[in-house]
Order: sequence, then structure tokens, then C-alpha cells
Amino acid sequence: MKGKGRFWAVLFTISSLVLWTGIGLCGAPGFDDKEIRIAAWGPQTGPAAPWGSVARAPAVLAAMINEQGGIHGRKLKHFVRDDQYNPAQTKVVVKELVEKEGIFSFVCGTGSAGGLAVKDYLAQNKVIWVGPATSVKEYVFPVQPYLFSVYPLYEDEGSILTKYVIEKLGIKEIGVVYQNDPYGKNGLDGVRQRLDHLKMKAVAEIPVEATEKDLSSHVLKLKSAGAKAVLMWVHPTTGVVLVKTAATIGYKPQWVASNTLSDFELMNKISGGLWEGIITGAFMLPPDSDDPRVVKYREAAKKYAPEERFGVFFMAGIMFTEPLVEALKRVGKNLSTEAVLKALNSMKNFQGVGPKLTWSPDQHQGSDSIQIWKCGPGGKTILLQDWTVNELAHWKKK
Amino acid sequence: MYGQLIVEGLSIGACYAVFGIAVVIIYKTSEVINFAQGEMAMISTFVAYHILNVYGWPFWYAFIGALFFAVLLGVFIEVCFLRPAKDPTVLGLIVITLGAEMLLMGLASWKWGAEQKDFALPFSFHKTHELFKGVVINDWSIAVFVMAAVLMIFLYIFFRYTKLGVAMRATQQNEHAARIMGIKVERVFSFAWGFSSLIGALAGMFFAARSTLDPAYMMEPFLRAFAAAVLGGLMSIPGVVIGGGILGILENFVGFHWPAWKPIVAFLVIVAVLCIRPSGLFARHYEKKV
Amino acid sequence: MGDHFRVENLSISFGGLKAVDGVSFDVEPNTIFSIIGPNGSGKTTIFNLICGIYHPHSGRIILEGRNIVGLKPDRIARLGIARTFQNIELFGNATVMDNIMLGRHIHMKTGVFSGAFMWWRGSRAAQEEIVHREEVEKIIDFLDLQSVRDQFVSSLPYGKRKLVELGRALALKPKVLLLDEPSAGMNTEEKEDLSIWIKDIREDYKVTILLIEHDMNMIMGISDRVICLNYGRKIAEGLPQEVQKHPEVIEAYLGEEDIFRHA
Repeated sequence: MKGKGRFWAVLFTISSLVLWTGIGLCGAPGFDDKEIRIAAWGPQTGPAAPWGSVARAPAVLAAMINEQGGIHGRKLKHFVRDDQYNPAQTKVVVKELVEKEGIFSFVCGTGSAGGLAVKDYLAQNKVIWVGPATSVKEYVFPVQPYLFSVYPLYEDEGSILTKYVIEKLGIKEIGVVYQNDPYGKNGLDGVRQRLDHLKMKAVAEIPVEATEKDLSSHVLKLKSAGAKAVLMWVHPTTGVVLVKTAATIGYKPQWVASNTLSDFELMNKISGGLWEGIITGAFMLPPDSDDPRVVKYREAAKKYAPEERFGVFFMAGIMFTEPLVEALKRVGKNLSTEAVLKALNSMKNFQGVGPKLTWSPDQHQGSDSIQIWKCGPGGKTILLQDWTVNELAHWKKK
Repeated sequence: MYGQLIVEGLSIGACYAVFGIAVVIIYKTSEVINFAQGEMAMISTFVAYHILNVYGWPFWYAFIGALFFAVLLGVFIEVCFLRPAKDPTVLGLIVITLGAEMLLMGLASWKWGAEQKDFALPFSFHKTHELFKGVVINDWSIAVFVMAAVLMIFLYIFFRYTKLGVAMRATQQNEHAARIMGIKVERVFSFAWGFSSLIGALAGMFFAARSTLDPAYMMEPFLRAFAAAVLGGLMSIPGVVIGGGILGILENFVGFHWPAWKPIVAFLVIVAVLCIRPSGLFARHYEKKV
Repeated sequence: MGDHFRVENLSISFGGLKAVDGVSFDVEPNTIFSIIGPNGSGKTTIFNLICGIYHPHSGRIILEGRNIVGLKPDRIARLGIARTFQNIELFGNATVMDNIMLGRHIHMKTGVFSGAFMWWRGSRAAQEEIVHREEVEKIIDFLDLQSVRDQFVSSLPYGKRKLVELGRALALKPKVLLLDEPSAGMNTEEKEDLSIWIKDIREDYKVTILLIEHDMNMIMGISDRVICLNYGRKIAEGLPQEVQKHPEVIEAYLGEEDIFRHA
């Protein structure tokens, strides 16, 4: 014990020296014999706070696992930090977690700007990050050794949804509303990929800022362009404003939206019931599904986090954490970062409540498929099409 | 299509204008730009939401309740936050309003959560009337126009003929002299804040019905209303109403032809007016007191 | 001592400098009481103390038996003290009529709701408005301001603006009227008119007038009583002629402009 204490003291001195000199090396390994520390950041306050529930959800999964004795005797301890969707703040909270608490792996992590701001720091400190709660190409192309993506690419989603609209619904006049950022543009790229393949063109491609509240001109433009289906990669509120505004001028296209707008219970409520009939992509099983895995999580959430609504975002937080738990289980008693990396890199067709995941040392985009849902009466989920792969995806052919 | 663009532009513009009036009323009396304006309206709208959904009372009770709350909130902020400031500069007071803004937003997130809520008015979007061929107007827009018009008439009479209205105008022009004339300047300030908060809450409920209700939903409308107020010279109520109309139509035309540019129209308007004609497009020559 | 209006042992200092130092005086009702003294002797400070802009560090100000020290300016105005300023404080962006009308503010009863029925001639609000307008018209006639009554104050020459300010103070119907250098910037003819007006105001409006003036002709001509201040202290009090001859007063003014030349 005495020797170990001195070892830590020396390590602490060295690491604080290292910190002083500006080379970030991790202070604590993130686990010991009793626990494994995982963490997520996400906006808990401020405008983006609705997405904050993602970061809180892993605590439910941790509680479930701990109740059964943990993973090979180690309990999971989950930390949540509020970064207010502000990259500068993300840096602060992540640094604090890594250097003060010692984190083995991050999970979820909401907000692409925040994620981009800390991904290199995490890699330098050899901290694993599994399942960012958004799809960002820079996370996985080129491969980042410590970062494993679960989320399907918006580009693939765009391509699959467009195919569905054209082939299954028989609609050829397609309009796109996309948020003027990587999220929206990736969705737009996917639509274009599919349309190019079919030698078609969108009748309108309209950019929108996330904060805009008056979208009359956008809707009128869609109407005048004759769009019969409108695909959107936008903020949930933007989606609601679009649908409401269209209703005011009697414009009724088939609305199709990204998986970020697939929280039907919420969307239907905040749109005053106008979300019914809207088709979206989806990156996991519906939270109201009867699938036994979902039922298990739903019951656990009721028990461990009764104040939380078991919606898409909350369940997604569990879904993003599943593969890490799986890897930890596979590694066994001799835990180390290298061992977990190896387990993650050799994961093949792992399926939890999310899409099938396959990682290899040179491919960290885990998923290539989405489901297609439709919002039924009262916000119930109707499954239109089970897991579908984008056969046009170019990132897999290498 | 242009006819419809104009109708839509005018109706959102009228909503900006009503909110802009709230900004102008405080600016007129104290030369402070109240950055908490949007969040005051947001909290008041949440109160209406709360009365509707938690107490389950009818809409008009919630409506009146929210307006009543708005007045109290405005007076509260003036009395408890602004008045205690010792030897305040205008900048200092503006910083106080920024603090109030953050406080209110935090409060709303804590009380009602950050998730979006649905807030509906009895003036439905879906009920439309054809004005002339191809151009429709919905009940929401009609209600906004009526609200803006009634408010204008009321304010005209108020500032022209009522004792309090005259006292407000006097305070705005020369606080010092107003005091010597026996005007209770503190009361005028409290009233201005209460009144402005009430008008803001009116506009806030209309904005919420248009999009969703969440703690941050009034940030963008505040910017637009501010732009409308700047267009109108920040001092004049007819000015802000015309400014709102112009901004609404301008935004809709830009949004129709160059959607990517729409979000910056309001910024451009603010910058352009402040550079070229700081007294606004319509302001009479205004001689600032010495 | 009379209970109409008096000042007892009034003191205030700014950053160690005693601006007003133990000044007392007593003003009889319906008289013209003048305060003279070199520049910076504390005359305007006394006015600011009386109308509540400053609060004295010690002393009392009694209006009709009541100590008004510590009250806010608007309260003091309501109790019946009106004033004009050395550097005119008007509502520049309003007409002469509107400015004077504001003096009636404290006498108006119209609330927000009754005010909204102003357009209806028979309403109480409209009736009240008519009464106030008549008062104001009288003042406009009295001060010979008919020709400019609907002009914006900011467009008027200095002398006229001084009159508007006087008119506005009169509209308050005060018991005590404080005039701070009303003749500044006026020519000789205007000054003579002003002297007559001030006397008439005393007669017609039954008001006590406190006057700060540099023009000794005017002081000697209209004052019932005069005090002289120097360095914040009262150095003389009495009838105009007595104060004029007081040796300390003459000494105080030595080096100042030759103020007694015309006297």
C-alpha cells in the first residue's frame, strides 16, 4: 500500500508537471478494481437543453448493470456535465472530468461543435469516446483511433429516405429544407446522391437557420416550386414552424424528416397534432416498441429515473452506451484501454436497440442503416420499413 | 405568390411591431434597451401555459392571468433590479437587464424544462379566408392585425390624453423637470415596465402559437422587434409599427428569393439604420436634452 | 417666527466644501424675498435643497408648519413649491401650451380609463380638461405668449423659453415660487417687463416669491426683503437698501463685476 501511495504521488507530480508544460496526459486511468468511470456532456440548460436528456440516460443503463453486480465485478459510474451547447464550455467540462475525476470512456456527447473541440484532447489523453449523439463525418473520416461512431450518417439517411419517397410513395417533386450547417448539408448531400443516381433534380433546396421563427417565405417557395414531398434536416422547432405555416396557407405536401425529429410524442404535442402522418428516419427501435430489449430499458428508466420522459433522445443515450458495455463485457477482468479498443475494433454486426454495428481498425463509422417511421395518431410510432442500408454509400467502398 | 408573401410579411411584421412597442415604451421613458424583454414575455407565456395545462382553466383565464402576471413581473424587475442601482449609467442599466434575461431563462428552464411545449391560441392557423384569388389570410393573422390596431389607438389616446401618459412623455423628455412638476417619476418607470411587459406578453403568446414554447423561443423575435424599433427610431410608436411592417415584408421577399440571406436581414437593417440614419426612418428631428 | 415658509440652520457640504453653512431665514406670506451673493455663494444650492433635489446634512425647511426636508421633489411640488431653473429645464419636444399644461399635472384627476373617454365632450375628463386649459390660457395671456403658444419650445429664443418656464411654474399654482435668475439673457426692456410681471404674479396669484437675481436694479425695485450669501453663509439680511449698504456685502462683491453701478 505504501509503495502504491508513493507511486501515485510521483505520478501526480509528473502529471501536474506535464499539465503545467501544456502536454495533456491523463491524470487517472478511469477505472480501478471497484468502478469504471464513464461520462457524457450535453446541454442541460440553454436553448439546446431538450437534447440534454441523451447525456443523462447512460445513468439508467449503469444502474441496471450495477444492480446485477456490475461488469466483471466493477460498477459503472456515470458523470453528466452541462456544456450549454457551447464548445468553449465543452472543453472546460471535459478537461475537468478527465483530469479531476479520471474518465475511462466518454459516451454520447451532444453537439458537433463541442465534439470537434474536444476530440483531439480526448485522443491525446487516450480516452475512448463511443457513440457521439450526432453524426459528424470528421469524427470518423479519417479514422480516429479512440472515437467510435454509432449514429448513421445523415447522408445515408437522406439517400434512403429519398429512395423511399420516390419508389414507395411514387412522388417525384421533391423539395428539401436543410439547416445551414453540416447537419443540414449532409442530409442535402444524401438527397442529391439519390437523385443524381436516378438522374433527377430537387424542385427546391432551401437553407434555414436553426433559430428562425418565421418561415412563410420558405413555405411559399416550396409551394410555388410545386414540391409534393418535402424532406427536412432541421431543428425540431423549425420543423414545427414549417408544418404549421404550411397548414395556414393550405399547402399539404408529404413531410419527411430526419431522425432528429423522430421523437413523435414530443413532436406531435408541440405541433398541435400536425405531426401525424409525417415520415422520418430513425436510428433505433421506437421507445414505445414492444421489443423486449426496449421494454427492459423502459422499465428501468421508470425505476431509476422516474422524472424523465422515455422519449427518443433519452433512449438514444442508452443505445449509444450499449456497445461500450458490450466491449467491457468481452474484455473480461483484465481491463485496459487497449483491450477495450481491441474489443471495439473487432465488433461485428452487434445489435442492441440501435442499428447493426461493425467496427474495424480502419473503419469507425459503425452503422449504415436506418429505419423508416411514420407518426401515427397521438404520436404513436408506425414502422414503415425495418433496418435499411444505403446501397449507394460510397464511404464503405474502399 | 407575391400577394401571399405580403400578407404573411405584414402579419409577422405586425407581431414584431407589437413586441417592438414594448421595447419602445421602456426606451422612451428611460433610454434603456431592455434585453430581458423577450424572456419576460417568455415567462409570462409560460404562466399562461401553466394555467392552461396544470390548472386546466379555460383559455381566457390563462390569457388574463398571464397579462396580470406580466405587469407584476415588469414592475418587480424595475423596482427590485433597476431602481436599487446607485447612480446608474444607461450602460449599467442595460447590463442589469442582460442579467435579468439570464435569470429568467434559467428560471423557466428549471420550472418548466427546456423541452418545447405546444401553446395554442383560439385563433387557429388552419382557418383561412380567401382575401382575393390565391391570397388567403388565417385567423392568427387577423387577430394580430386587430391587436396591433387596437393597441395603436389605445396608445395614441393614452399618451395624448391621460395624466399618466402625459407624465410618461414628460419623464422621457426631461426627468429632472418632470420631478419638479410633481410627477412621480419612480411610479412612471414602474408603470412603463409593467405596461411594456404586458404588451410583450401579448406578443409572446402570439409568437408561441406560431412556433413552439421553450425558454429560448423569444430570442429571435426580440432581435426582429428590436430591428423594427430601430427602423422606427426607437422613440416613436407609429414608427415601430411601420418598421415592423417593412421588416416583415423585406424578410419575406429576401427569404423567398435568397433564403440563405434571410436571417441577416434584421442585422443589416439595424446596422444600416444606425449608420445612415440613427434617428430612424420616420423620426421627427429630435433634440436631445442637455 | 412665521410658519408660512422658513429655513432653519440649513447646511450641506460637497466633498468637504461647505456649500451652504447654517443659513436661516423667514419669509412672510405674499412677499418677494431675494437672495443675492457672488457666484458660487450657494444661492442655487439653497433652491435645490428647498425643492428636494439635494437633501441637507442638517437643518429644517418649514412650509406652512411642516418640515419638508427628506421629501422627494415630486412630493414637495405637490405641497406647493414650484421653481424655474438657471439653465432652463423644459420639455423641448413639446409645444408651449403642452409645457405649461404639464404644470397642471398635479391638479388633474383623470385616470387612465376616464382619460380614454376624452373624445366625448360631456365626459368628466373632458370637462376637467376644459378647466385646466382655461387656467393655462390665462397664464399664456398674462405672459404675452399667444404668438408662440403652439410652437415647439426647442425652437424658441432664450428669453421666451424663460417665460415658458415661468408660466409652467405658475400653472402649478404654488404657494412658494422659486425663480432662479429669471432675467438672465434678457435685454433691458424685457427685464422691465419681467419686474412688472413678477410684482403682478405676487398680487394676482397670491404667491410668495423667492428670487435669485444678479440684476440689482430688479432686486432693489421689487424685493420686500433681501439676504446676501457669501461662501455659503448669510452675511446680511434686511430691507433692500439696508443690505445694499451693509459693509460685508460691499466687501463680498469687491472684485466681482461692478454690480452696484446702476443701483
